[in-house]
Amino acid sequence: MKLTAEKNGSEVLLKIEGRVDTTNYGEFESSVNNAITDEIKTILMDCSEMNYISSSGLRVFLVIQKKMMASGGKFKLFGMQNSIKEIFDISGFSKIFEIYPDQASIVK
Amino acid sequence: MEILFSVIPVLVFLVFLFLLDSFKLVFKGVLFASLSWGVLMATLLYLLNVSHPVFAPVAEELLKSVFVLYLIRRGKAGFIIDAAIYGFASGAGFALAENLFYLNAIPEASILTWIVRGFGTAFMHGGCTAIVAMLVVFGKSLDQKGLLFPILAFISVSIIHYTFNLFYINPVMQTLGIVVLLAALFILIFRYSEQRLHNWLEVEFSSEVAMLNMMNRGEMLSTRAGKYLDSLKTSFPPESILDLYCYIQLYLELSIKAKRNLMLRENDFPVVVEDDIDLKLAELKALKKRIGKVGEITLMPLLSMNYRDLWKLNLLK
Repeated sequence: MKLTAEKNGSEVLLKIEGRVDTTNYGEFESSVNNAITDEIKTILMDCSEMNYISSSGLRVFLVIQKKMMASGGKFKLFGMQNSIKEIFDISGFSKIFEIYPDQASIVK
Repeated sequence: MEILFSVIPVLVFLVFLFLLDSFKLVFKGVLFASLSWGVLMATLLYLLNVSHPVFAPVAEELLKSVFVLYLIRRGKAGFIIDAAIYGFASGAGFALAENLFYLNAIPEASILTWIVRGFGTAFMHGGCTAIVAMLVVFGKSLDQKGLLFPILAFISVSIIHYTFNLFYINPVMQTLGIVVLLAALFILIFRYSEQRLHNWLEVEFSSEVAMLNMMNRGEMLSTRAGKYLDSLKTSFPPESILDLYCYIQLYLELSIKAKRNLMLRENDFPVVVEDDIDLKLAELKALKKRIGKVGEITLMPLLSMNYRDLWKLNLLK
């Protein structure tokens, strides 16, 4: 798992690569936390290179969502591979998160 | 002051246990019902005036535990954590009412009496019922369906209760000991149980999503599970195979959604209740009836069917 962060004012673009599972979800969570500072109001998560997510990973997404909701911010996911999108759809997490096909379709 | 020492500590400890439940397995309504059950049972025994040194502890332990055993039997408590908290709540309710009765009966008793009763006796009551609940759930997790674990649990807590009442050692030391021991015991058991719950969620969720994905894509036959199901054609009529297939598919869908709700509860999000969930639960029940015990046993290699399954489906409502 690799996470890169690109800040642009009150927005941060996080790109996640590889697997998010029980072995690395802690590292994933702390990397995200490091990238989120008080001035961040929107997190855009590029999931195009994420090829696996387990329930531990989903729980980290929920933690981020909770944190952003508490601060009045937004958490948006985009570019999910079909297999990952299916996990969100099957489990009903699609209704919890804002998910977009690609970055261009995100309405700012 | 007496009333504070006699009823507050056990309620504070109950809140402490409730906060330890990071997966939010405990429902406040059920918790309140457990507490009320304890109050009711203490009132009943008070009215019956049961005071025999051996019979009283046994009767108290039996009556306090009835509600949590009912919850476990109905699948409303699925893990050691929630069962222990509901059990402790029943015991706490019992102790709370008992102490109020005693306060009324012996108002002249010293403050030390209420400290010992409020911390020692009350914690013992809560702890004993929690131990019964934990042992019974542990027995179920080992697929022990008989009465071995409930009987063992009752014998153990009856002995603990009886011994406690004899006050072999200094009452203050005994009280201090029980508070420290119970707190340590609960923290250790909760940590262990949370780890198990985490593993259960992690492993089962991923495999269920993968299997349901395959089924929805019509690729089931290319999997081991599909081949297994296909091999049953020789042993079951076609309509039974269809029922088994539908049962697996619906079970997986509901199980995944139940786990999603567990994750949502853990993070303080409101659970999602789909419009058609009651219909689907009814359909699952009907399918379960149709496939019968033979069908359930047949599906064992594909679905982990244990007592938690009933519990987790409660998260859908």
